[in-house]
Amino acid sequence: MRKIIYFFIIVAVVVMAAAIYFTYDPAKPGNIFPRCFFLTFTGYKCPGCGSQRAIHSLLHGDFLQAFRFNAALVVALPILVVFAISEWKRNSWPRFYEIVNNKWIGITILFAVVFWWIIRNVFNF
Amino acid sequence: MNENTQYWINQGGIQTGPHTIEQLKEIGVTGEAYVWCAGMDDWKPITTIAELTDLLPKANESHEGISDATPALEQETQTHSVAIPPIPEQPLEPQPQYSQQTPPAVPNEQCPPTNLVWAILSTILCCIPLGIVAIIYSVKVSQKYQQGDIEGAKHYSEVSAWWCIGTIIGGIVLSPFVSLIQMAMMG
Repeated sequence: MRKIIYFFIIVAVVVMAAAIYFTYDPAKPGNIFPRCFFLTFTGYKCPGCGSQRAIHSLLHGDFLQAFRFNAALVVALPILVVFAISEWKRNSWPRFYEIVNNKWIGITILFAVVFWWIIRNVFNF
Repeated sequence: MNENTQYWINQGGIQTGPHTIEQLKEIGVTGEAYVWCAGMDDWKPITTIAELTDLLPKANESHEGISDATPALEQETQTHSVAIPPIPEQPLEPQPQYSQQTPPAVPNEQCPPTNLVWAILSTILCCIPLGIVAIIYSVKVSQKYQQGDIEGAKHYSEVSAWWCIGTIIGGIVLSPFVSLIQMAMMG
């Protein structure tokens, strides 16, 4: 019962956020969206910079533009879906869960994120 | 390893555990069983574990014919292999098979949540690079679990969850301030 309530709260929040990000464009100047905290204070991009614009583009079906705004987000989405499925089907496919949640996959993701963070600041994309 | 050590045992392809030595005594083990406990890299034949060899059927009971035929010297040097099947050249033959079926350090208890999905989401969406710390602790969960350290895995699972929550709340709380600063700079 509690799980169902949580599920609907999450779905409601995601739908509302999607509606907002679909309607308003974070790429336009003078928009309502907050700028990245890390970028504002340090001048360096964080791994998530551009995610709001990328989500807006994704919701409009423009994958290429989304990839330009934040490549990590577009790459991460299918990976996150695989993780979610492994969690959801854990009891039916325990072997799949084991493979997906192997520590080497986690280490790879960790290094990929750090690498992404560095190169996007070096080459400014 | 002491008398409170918990052992997982695989006899004839059936894996059970954890058991203490006392419980293993009650279950009754054969020399063909494979054993794993926390700290081991892989399953080992029970005959190679000094603590457990006492549980095995005695040599002169199960292998009377052989011990008559072999000289006393050989019996002394081979006390470990007493209960191994009659062809001594291939005592370890089934081991690779067991290793494939049951990878080491997969005890019966399920791995606690690694929270990796939330860690990645908080890194990509929350404007605070602290999500990376959550990813590090997520990796530690699966690392500890693969080592067979359930308690450690549970601990790191909680730590990574708190880093995720902290990053998400931090992102939500700090965003309005950034907007205020932006407005102040523009106005």
